[in-house]
Amino acid sequence: MLNRLTCPRLILAVLVFSSFAHPQSAPPRSGTPPQSGTQKDQKTIPAAPAPLVHDGWGRAITPPAKGQKLAPAPRHDISGTWEPANGPLDGGGFLGAKAMPEDGKPEHQLPFTPLGLETYKGTKPTIGPRMVLPADTNDPVAICDPQGMPREDLFQLRTTQIVQTPSKVMILYQFDQIWRVIWTDGRELPGDAEPRWFGYSVGKWVDDYTLVVETSGMDERTWLDLVGRPHSGDLRVEERFHRVDRDDLEWTVKIDDPKMYTKPWLALDKFPMKLQPPDFDVREMICSPSEAEQYNKLIATPVSDPSPNPSSNKDSR
Amino acid sequence: MERPYAMLRRLIAPTLLLAVLIFSASAHTQSAPPKSATPPQSGPQAGPEAGKDRQAAPAATAPVDYDGWGKPIPSVAKNQKPAPAPRHDISGTWDPANGPDDGGQFLGAKALPVDGKPGHEPAYTPLGLEAYLRTKPSNGARMVSPGETNDPELLCDPQGFPREDLFQLRTTQVVQAPGKIYMLYEFDRVWRVIWTDGRELPKDPEPRWYGYSVGKWVDDYTLVVETSGTDDRTWVDHAGRPHTADLRVEETFHRVDHDHLEWTVKIDDPKMYTKPWLAMDKFPMRLLPPDMDVREMICSRAEFDEYDKLIGNPASDPPGDKGR
Repeated sequence: MLNRLTCPRLILAVLVFSSFAHPQSAPPRSGTPPQSGTQKDQKTIPAAPAPLVHDGWGRAITPPAKGQKLAPAPRHDISGTWEPANGPLDGGGFLGAKAMPEDGKPEHQLPFTPLGLETYKGTKPTIGPRMVLPADTNDPVAICDPQGMPREDLFQLRTTQIVQTPSKVMILYQFDQIWRVIWTDGRELPGDAEPRWFGYSVGKWVDDYTLVVETSGMDERTWLDLVGRPHSGDLRVEERFHRVDRDDLEWTVKIDDPKMYTKPWLALDKFPMKLQPPDFDVREMICSPSEAEQYNKLIATPVSDPSPNPSSNKDSR
Repeated sequence: MERPYAMLRRLIAPTLLLAVLIFSASAHTQSAPPKSATPPQSGPQAGPEAGKDRQAAPAATAPVDYDGWGKPIPSVAKNQKPAPAPRHDISGTWDPANGPDDGGQFLGAKALPVDGKPGHEPAYTPLGLEAYLRTKPSNGARMVSPGETNDPELLCDPQGFPREDLFQLRTTQVVQAPGKIYMLYEFDRVWRVIWTDGRELPKDPEPRWYGYSVGKWVDDYTLVVETSGTDDRTWVDHAGRPHTADLRVEETFHRVDHDHLEWTVKIDDPKMYTKPWLAMDKFPMRLLPPDMDVREMICSRAEFDEYDKLIGNPASDPPGDKGR
């Protein structure tokens, strides 16, 4: 029965989850697409116009021109405003970590340890083959608890601003408007650190265009991804940021947690990001528990209501 | 309507202490620094500061504060000649100059706290006062018990702007890039962008929690920032001062010298207040070394619910048959 319900529920879950607890701010009205186009637009007559996407300031985002000669990558530099190259939802991670989605395929089976499998079975995600009804989930993000690392990379990865100073790299995520620091001053990871949601990160350049980042000390209350893959406090995450050329970045995330998985696995594998113009304002997307509660009251709990005629005791229509 | 204020003044002192203790322990546990970073007893430690720490023998040890990596945060150096301010530059890792808790603002906006002193209430419009009296803060003279507060921030809703400046203002990283300035706050680990590329504020924006900000340099050392389009669900400060979506906030960042910054916040909301008022007035920040790691301080609903179950709700229950 669950299989029959999966498709419509999946769509519903994706729509409600992404639009309720984290409504993305609408761009200012003054930024509605200009009626008169540029000269280029007037000459070509598009068959079906591509939907115009707007940034946080209401400015239309111009898609990159095709057939442009690639500019060379700057050295030791991953700074900029980066957008998933294959579209704004490409980093959604709605079936879990993009490189290992929970789609039933044998190559996407994770190498769980017995403890890993047991812990995994304890998670009740809002989506995917093991999904539960909204009111029954134990996904901490459903009540707006911090995603933490590495889930911040593996669910709703959207427009990401990267800023560098001589001793650190700062990553400013769109989802939850959270920042994270990667220390590049040569320090070591702290030995016996009190766990924190986003852990502790250090990075070093392994060549002119590749930054390798190690993260440890992540709070084990977080899930790795939307479908509830688990991790322990011993988790180590290795990220690789590879500047392919001036406009392209590849982001790789490797999970290494011997308590939960018998071997490391890639959660993101060269996920492509595209450089945006520097005046791109990121739209706001912040989890609000009171909005989530509203949603639960109006939709989730009625949907989860097990009684056969949920409307029978309410006002008749 | 002066009665409410008179009555409130009597309740301030005892309730204040209680509230500070309860609140700071609950929803926003600040991450403890790594254990490995207790002051080094022996052995090499990277960095030129290590030798200096060992040589100084404090008579009465001042409490040492640690950064997120477990490194001690250097205390304010005395009698140092201030180095000159760089031009058009407020970047750096800034800490409240008078101590890490100086930006706590549990009684409300630093320059206008709800402490019963004359002149410490903004000039409300009738609508403004009405909206203010509807808020039920968890601290201060008008505080209610934890189970009764309607402070959205306590439930981990976003603080938004300008409250992000006016409650728990702590270590703040400011980074400048061409055309914009990033502010990275410790509390809730949120970032905010101030556009300095000459753009105007959007005319009719959809409100957002942190609004829309543009800034410009009015002289070599002063950046003035205008913010509009803030969501009216947020409170201006921890004391529950209200605002509408018409609120305009003006911040002034003044680089006094190389190591000092003054941060001013002005509230302008004609629907709520008959005239603008200063929420922060040259709040002093001092520059920390660039290797300071900011401690994590993020609201967790699950932790708050846990707290509520164990402490908050029992505390809110009327006295009676609890058998304590």
